[in-house]
Amino acid sequence: MSKILCSIATRGRYFTTLPLVLNAVINQTRPVDKLIVFDDNDEPQDMRKEMIYQYFFQMLDQKGIEWEWVYADKKGQHHIHQRANSMGYDLVWRIDDDAIPEPNVLENLIKHFDVGVGAVGGSVLTPPYLPDTSTISGAIDNIDSEPNIQWGKIEQVKQVEHLHCTFLYRAGVCDYNLGLSRVAHREETLFTYGLHRKGYQILAVPNAVTWHMKNPQGGIRSETRREMFEHDEQIFKNVLKNRHHTIVVLNCGLGDHIVFSHVLPAISNPLVFTCYPEVIPGKSIAEAFELFGDIEPYNIYKKMDQWKWNGSLEDAYRKMYL
Amino acid sequence: MIIIAPYAQKLRTGKENPKNYPYWKELIEMIDEPIVQVGVEGEQQLVPDFRKNLPIFELRKLLKECRTWIGVDSFFQHLAWDEGVLGIVLWGPSDPLIFGHPENINLLKDRSYLVGNQFIWWEATEHSNDRFIKPKEIIPHLKE
Repeated sequence: MSKILCSIATRGRYFTTLPLVLNAVINQTRPVDKLIVFDDNDEPQDMRKEMIYQYFFQMLDQKGIEWEWVYADKKGQHHIHQRANSMGYDLVWRIDDDAIPEPNVLENLIKHFDVGVGAVGGSVLTPPYLPDTSTISGAIDNIDSEPNIQWGKIEQVKQVEHLHCTFLYRAGVCDYNLGLSRVAHREETLFTYGLHRKGYQILAVPNAVTWHMKNPQGGIRSETRREMFEHDEQIFKNVLKNRHHTIVVLNCGLGDHIVFSHVLPAISNPLVFTCYPEVIPGKSIAEAFELFGDIEPYNIYKKMDQWKWNGSLEDAYRKMYL
Repeated sequence: MIIIAPYAQKLRTGKENPKNYPYWKELIEMIDEPIVQVGVEGEQQLVPDFRKNLPIFELRKLLKECRTWIGVDSFFQHLAWDEGVLGIVLWGPSDPLIFGHPENINLLKDRSYLVGNQFIWWEATEHSNDRFIKPKEIIPHLKE
């Protein structure tokens, strides 16, 4: 059975919506294997001293659910989610600190998690707003012209290209874009669209309702600087603009470029960024950084380490790009 | 003619790259053939004919002229493999199964000398002569 980590990133909501979220997670009909709370508060507190939290921790212990409270590094929730993404669990259920799942959400999300599925999300309702999303495509091209499918009541399973807010996803196959600003605008869209691009199905499913009590106080995205949103939006647009290419970033040694040259012919429609254009022609690494914000997901050595790789370098490149 | 490519890239710390073979002088004394050394400015000259900072196309040309080559785990072994010229690679802490090419003669003393994590910066690994095979064990392979 898949091991599920529930990851909650929180800021400024110790005594408002976070307790509701924790209670909802603890009382899921399909318990999580571990709950991790990333505390990104400017002045974090020891919540073991708070009566309500004491009860939560005892309930988790009684139910045999492992839990951990981590003081995060205040870089934004994309960094937090990436940590959860790389903790070695099969699946991660990410929840906002003001999104309260009904008791059956995890049980119903996991029912849809077949081999080729990358992420599954249910409705994320914010009363009184309840748009009719029955005809929503969920295509990335329509992201600015149609409501998100999760904003309405989902009546049947639908394959989409992106999700937002809260969903269950396959861990360790796609990275969060760490080049985004602290507000991490579009982080979950970029992440789920990345899973879609890797060939995994992204599903919006019924009977998995989360109530999004959008709290104007606090929140992991409680930055108001417009430049941050604009910066992130530009990265998002650059990703979309280049989506028909396979992005190749060779921020590595000369020998690595030579080995990679044997993989390149098999890559469909590559857009290459290179350190050694005399070996592999392409644009500069600086340009990749400018366009996409984060080029670490293309670090072949980091990937081989993550994969505990013992095959050849050439095969590692094949795994990364083919 | 034999090409030697004795050194891996210099480390940012200035420490010796742990992939560098320590017994080149002894090995060269045992070789009875003209030798051309390739490398970059700043590396120690081991033979009279040391060609520094050659562009890739010149290295490829030189490879076409050589009988074989001896190197360490550096870009040169990949270039020669790409050019289809097979040679000898002297391995130390890095893993030939990951970074090598089976077409070459990959001489590794013992897998127990490989570093545990192959994917960290080499600055974190100390150089050790013990990791490498002795020159006399290389000579028979040079005659293959």
